[in-house]
Amino acid sequence: MNANFPTVRLGALRKSYRVGESSVEALKGVSLEVGGGEMVALTGPSGSGKSTLLNLCGLIDTPDAGSRELCGTALDSLDELSLTRLRREKVGFIFQGFNLVPVMTVYDNVEYPLLLLGVAPAERRRRVTEALGRVGLESFALRLPDALSGGQRQRVAIARALIKAPALVIADEPTANLDSATARQIVDLLHELAHERNASVVVATHDERMSSHCDRVLHLIDGELQ
Amino acid sequence: MKWLVFAWKNVMRNRRRSLTAMLITAFGTAAVLASGGFALYTYESLEEMTARDSGHVVVAHSRGFDGDEDVPLQYGLADATGLAAKFAALPGVRAVAPRVQFSGLISNGDKSAVFVGSGVVPEIDFRLRGPQMSFSAGRPPATNAPAPEVVIGDELARLMKARVGTSLTLLATTTEGNLNAVDVVVSGIAGVGVPEIDKRLVLADLASVQRLLLSDKVGTLSIYLKETADTEAVAARVRGAQPDQAVKTWRDLAVFYQAVRALYNRIFGILGVIMICIVLFAMSNTLGMAVVERTREIGTLRAIGTLPGEVVRNFVFEGMVIGGAGAVAGMVLAGGATVALLFAGIDMPPPPGRSAGYPLFLSFSPLLYGAVTLVVITLAAAAAWMVSRHAANKPVTEALAHV
Repeated sequence: MNANFPTVRLGALRKSYRVGESSVEALKGVSLEVGGGEMVALTGPSGSGKSTLLNLCGLIDTPDAGSRELCGTALDSLDELSLTRLRREKVGFIFQGFNLVPVMTVYDNVEYPLLLLGVAPAERRRRVTEALGRVGLESFALRLPDALSGGQRQRVAIARALIKAPALVIADEPTANLDSATARQIVDLLHELAHERNASVVVATHDERMSSHCDRVLHLIDGELQ
Repeated sequence: MKWLVFAWKNVMRNRRRSLTAMLITAFGTAAVLASGGFALYTYESLEEMTARDSGHVVVAHSRGFDGDEDVPLQYGLADATGLAAKFAALPGVRAVAPRVQFSGLISNGDKSAVFVGSGVVPEIDFRLRGPQMSFSAGRPPATNAPAPEVVIGDELARLMKARVGTSLTLLATTTEGNLNAVDVVVSGIAGVGVPEIDKRLVLADLASVQRLLLSDKVGTLSIYLKETADTEAVAARVRGAQPDQAVKTWRDLAVFYQAVRALYNRIFGILGVIMICIVLFAMSNTLGMAVVERTREIGTLRAIGTLPGEVVRNFVFEGMVIGGAGAVAGMVLAGGATVALLFAGIDMPPPPGRSAGYPLFLSFSPLLYGAVTLVVITLAAAAAWMVSRHAANKPVTEALAHV
């Protein structure tokens, strides 16, 4: 990562969706910069455009207008395959519903991003073991996700997102499906690991415990940053 | 290896559905292998039957196969003994049988019938014919019997009211165009299982036939080989050595074999295509449902950096696992049926135009098994590719929102 550039730079992003005959403008010219190691919370009511902005930050959607950069790389001219390769290297995802692969063990789920990157087996083993240790699940390595609690699954998801040391972590309501005690642990863990690895985090949340841990809180209303 | 393990785990997600697809594939594979094995057995039987009848390589006068002789043996081979000795010395040759084809009338004094006969060397010919000709009474003609002896077809024997030891008269046109007759004694009654042949069949000692036709020529020299696979090589050597004579292989002369082979190839080809379609549909259905159910998961994998081609590859592996397991099970089923039929003693009914059935066996061909397995696995992979590529290329946000 080039230290002279912010991890994410968004310029006047616009995105609209067709709903039946009409068009709904989800983002109305949003500009945003997220620095290296910075943790930014996106808050706002449902339908305010949080998920759309997250998807654009995480390179899984394309804007109608505006510019995007990730670690100094302009994304506007990149095709889907190039964006996928960029996600593979530089972006980690944490989903509200955990989105673990049910037939893979905890170990396999965490290892998966390293398999995609072609990391050597011995190095994969070392990094997965270390990551599982950091989220306190080393003894659960051979279990399937179905055998874990919600909080444990989200820890696996965090380990999976951070195993490749991404420049950017996208987290969509990571505590929404968890009880408050577990949510607090998850917030602490994400905050700690992201800072430890100097990963920028953009998190969409309604949870004040989450946003209170963030370096910046951005409020979106009707597709505009307040 | 890791990807194959994931594929296996995904296949086992919905065991019942995967097992159904595997079973359909197994039965489809077994059906193709069993029908292919039956066709191969039929071809091998017909090959053997044809080669035993005509010889693997048949040598005649340059116009001997044209069928336009004005009188018998007009285009016969002179010096048959010398030629036979020459061919018998070729490597891979088991025996050489001189033959004369002739026809005429056969009479018991009260009644006459048309016959189609062969003059043969009994010691050679009847040994080579093997189980293709079955004697219901008597024995082959003796070469040095006091009176010329013949074997006649069982249908002809019935028509002539003849038994072993009955005297009959053969009337035929000589090489000079005159009629000649010879009294013969029935030494045996036999059949080849084809009523149309058995009601005209006469097999006589070659020397007796040559005396009847007033010639010392033979019509053909049938060369029998130790291995049928050597046919073309030996035929080529004979052609090289005898450029003035006509040389044909059993395959050239086997009109019935060619017709049956063409018919079976078409029938079993169509059956194979039907089975392929069934396997393809079963596999597409199973994997298609898996793709729909896992669309959200596909979105997750795509989000974390899996390329569409890698998603498709994973499903292709799953298809190959199901197809491979089904193909192996199908091979076991077909192999079991092949072995079971060896001991079951099941007979097929007589084919059209024949009076005897034949045992139902299936041939085992490693090439057939390998090719069918390869086709099944390829089909399964193709089905997986077809049903997964759309989902793999779906926008990530759309796939993640799939319910």
